[in-house]
Amino acid sequence: MKKITTIVATAALIASVSYAKEIKIGVVLPLTGPIAAFGQTSNDGLKIAYAERHKLKNGDKIKLIVLDDRGDKVEAATATKRLIDKNHVTAILGEVASSNSMAMAPIAERSKTPMITHASTNPRVTKGKKFVTRACFIDPFQGAIQANYAYDHGYKTAVIVTDAKQDYSVGVSKAFKKAYLKRGGKILGRVIINSGDKDFNAQVSTIKSKHPDIVDFTGYYPEAALMVRQARAMGVKAAFIGGDGVGFPELIKIAGKAAEGFMYSDHFNEAAATSPAAKAYVDAFHAKYHKPADSMGALAADAYNMILDAMNKCSNPADKICVNKNLRDTKNFQGVTGVINIDKNGDAVKSGVVNVVRNGKFAYLTTVNP
Amino acid sequence: MDITTFMQQMINGISLGSMYALIAIGYTLVYGVLRLINFAHGDIMMVGAFAAYFAHASGIPFGLAVILAIIAAMVTGILTDKIAYKPLRNAPKISLLITAIGISFFLENLFNVLFGGVPKAFSAPNYLTKIIHFHGIVIPMTVIIIPVVTLILLFIMLWILNKTKYGMAIRSLAFDIPTVKLMGINADFIIMLVFAMGSGLAAIGGIFYAISYPSIDPLMGVIVGLKAFAAAVLGGIGSVTGAVLGGFILGFTEIVVVAFMPELGGYKDAFAFVFLILVLLFKPTGIMGQDLERSRF
Repeated sequence: MKKITTIVATAALIASVSYAKEIKIGVVLPLTGPIAAFGQTSNDGLKIAYAERHKLKNGDKIKLIVLDDRGDKVEAATATKRLIDKNHVTAILGEVASSNSMAMAPIAERSKTPMITHASTNPRVTKGKKFVTRACFIDPFQGAIQANYAYDHGYKTAVIVTDAKQDYSVGVSKAFKKAYLKRGGKILGRVIINSGDKDFNAQVSTIKSKHPDIVDFTGYYPEAALMVRQARAMGVKAAFIGGDGVGFPELIKIAGKAAEGFMYSDHFNEAAATSPAAKAYVDAFHAKYHKPADSMGALAADAYNMILDAMNKCSNPADKICVNKNLRDTKNFQGVTGVINIDKNGDAVKSGVVNVVRNGKFAYLTTVNP
Repeated sequence: MDITTFMQQMINGISLGSMYALIAIGYTLVYGVLRLINFAHGDIMMVGAFAAYFAHASGIPFGLAVILAIIAAMVTGILTDKIAYKPLRNAPKISLLITAIGISFFLENLFNVLFGGVPKAFSAPNYLTKIIHFHGIVIPMTVIIIPVVTLILLFIMLWILNKTKYGMAIRSLAFDIPTVKLMGINADFIIMLVFAMGSGLAAIGGIFYAISYPSIDPLMGVIVGLKAFAAAVLGGIGSVTGAVLGGFILGFTEIVVVAFMPELGGYKDAFAFVFLILVLLFKPTGIMGQDLERSRF
């Protein structure tokens, strides 16, 4: 015991005298598994942001520790625990899926580690949490964008598709329903799917028999691609609208022609990027990856920069309490995805866009302000 | 629900059921001989689908790509037997089971590392993805082809098992491996044959799965493997015919739940498994299964 104490004391001494510290930021992303595309593109954006800026004002270096959770809640929680207990990170960035972020949030909260999710939009992620912040808008806003856009463009009846396994989908469905009914739309029914499923013929047959103007698909892209493909094969004529979970190249790759006309609300479209921060990011992204900059990467970059800004405002950037306070106080942050203000719940108040699949590409339709 | 929608849902049931049946046959074959629940079966299926994808993507005609994929899956199956299962031939069954789970994880993660976890779009020739319209009912080509293929494979399996010398060896292995060895039969060779057959079946299942639902990823075998396993148990594990029956029952249960109770559609797997539990309560060996100590297939 005495020996251990001596070692600890020595280690503490060495740590306190060494200069230009290394500040660790833990990242939890679904780099593999069913929603791997989210994690991979988030990581792409993160790399751009890191290359641009990896030192703090006081000279401290940032180190990113990226862990893969395979899109699984349990793995996400384990990864978070490991980052906090073993790697002693100052802050945590992640996850994409709301369900996974919700598994991580209590762990961050308990250890008083600031956590920022760049893309989890379910309101419950930050609810009642003092150490959880987000860089994206929340589902009620996203659901309202879809509902209002759909109704205002002549789609007066809808069927909602909910992925029962995803808190994100349940949240958007609820928000869509509320906003759509308020606008005067009619909801003809709801069908349930499970992420990981591949056969949606039963659900599609049900949708077909109801003849809606539009299908609000609130799940993620792997299911969206297969479902819209099966729907078009079955002769369903209804338009499709979804959320930020569907806007991935894989939607077009897997669904092919069936994806044409699929609309979705999203955080960012490079066609609408006008601010200097956005332009610089988009240029760097194109130069490195030779593909269009997507919203997940842009959000991850924003979340990362928000953490760095918060750290810069602290005399000791490794002080988790201070970093968290500044993160929660973020105001007028000029991000890639627009101007971000964090409200008292830790949620970002910002604008959103509506995109559509046109000629095998994602085209920009409009921007919606909060 | 009008009659067209009802008929459509029945077609959907056949489509899904035959898919499960096709994959369950391979599961049951390996179990029948080795009493090994080969949890890696779903992953061998994935290997088959990936092999066909890459072969086809490199310009090889689809038919040839399928044959190459079957061979690739067979080689994978034989290798796993040689490397992982053979040294455990005399170990307790539970060690084999754990090894099978290990192989399953290994294959999933190996493919994750090699090819990434993002789903890939599987493209198949038009004659396989064609859609037939019949009085307002939509019938994908695969709904006709898959049950036919399943039945053909079923008959081939039954023929091999019951009418050939190798089949006789396989059946005798299922009874008692040491005695079979004493009779001068090369047991290891026969077991290798079983793995080759099982893996080939898995590859065919994987390719048809990829044709029906054209997105493939390294974890694609997990859920469908579990369902096929449930189908095999439902039909009576060890019985090839039972596996086919179990597959259809499971497929129909899922479709019926979604069709008639759309709000409960999220629990379709739960319904399917409750049904499985009920069957096992009254008939512990499954629908077609007999006492496993005395008979096989």
